[in-house]
Amino acid sequence: MADSAMTAQSGAAHAGVLEHSPFGIRTPKLAMWLFIMADAATFGAILFAYGYLRVGAANWTRPFAFFPSILNGIVMTVVLLTSSLTMLTAVVAAQRGRVAACVRWMGVTALLGAAFAVLHLREWFKMFHEGWSPSTNPLGGPAQFGATFFGITGLHLLHVTCGVIAIAVIALLVRRGRLTAAAVETTGLYWHFVDLVWMFVFPLVYLMNAR
Amino acid sequence: MTASSESRHGPTMQVYVVVWIGSICLVGAEVLLAYAHLRTPVLLATLLALAVLEAGAALLFFMHLKYERPTLFWSLIPALIFVLVMMDHLWPDALRLWSLRAP
Repeated sequence: MADSAMTAQSGAAHAGVLEHSPFGIRTPKLAMWLFIMADAATFGAILFAYGYLRVGAANWTRPFAFFPSILNGIVMTVVLLTSSLTMLTAVVAAQRGRVAACVRWMGVTALLGAAFAVLHLREWFKMFHEGWSPSTNPLGGPAQFGATFFGITGLHLLHVTCGVIAIAVIALLVRRGRLTAAAVETTGLYWHFVDLVWMFVFPLVYLMNAR
Repeated sequence: MTASSESRHGPTMQVYVVVWIGSICLVGAEVLLAYAHLRTPVLLATLLALAVLEAGAALLFFMHLKYERPTLFWSLIPALIFVLVMMDHLWPDALRLWSLRAP
């Protein structure tokens, strides 16, 4: 049963019993907002930890040359920002009842997310090949660089991967008529949050370590 | 598929595209600043300010927070800012513990 129909039934059955939401949004969307706030605090914690370690180390490593690392980071940023725009296009299409367009734009978003992950993994493997790891620094600086870099970008990459999977599953269910525009909008919230986190990771982890 | 009427008045695609272009321009500015030979604290403050601008635009327009009821904004954002500020204040204590370790 479509969740809008379920909500309507539930609302009719409990009319006059349940209070109206003070936020004026459905429970799944509120739950997503609460998850996003908790996740933002998690990313805030690891970025603060990185900041203090960086300030506390006298000989902090700055390994990223413009080519290829920073250029790769710029491309990744543009890809992720563009995926937010395609996700918004999918949400608008869903709200207008254009299922095929919605599924198509969600597919484009998932592909852009996958492209971001591939670019990121390519950079990781290049660094592994150069001797980097979470506990080793081939340039002789503090080993915490690897721990913080792979920790922060790894957690973000995990979010991107989960987002790509979620978008693909939601698109499939929307195409089968089992989910509505509200589900697409809630998924979009998560995806924009992943984009938002990268807006802090890129300048703090990449640009602050450019040489 | 039914239309969602939760957001009171959502922005148009034109607004989304303007925010997207603005965000890309801000990323370009960040990259230029990273190579402008600024002192590290100045660079950090500037990059953070630009990141907050980008994140604010994404929150307000992409995530529709500007178009939701104000109760949602006031319930979520001040609490998050409080948590982040407290982290910023309390992290030095975590580093102080290192100097308390037995040799």
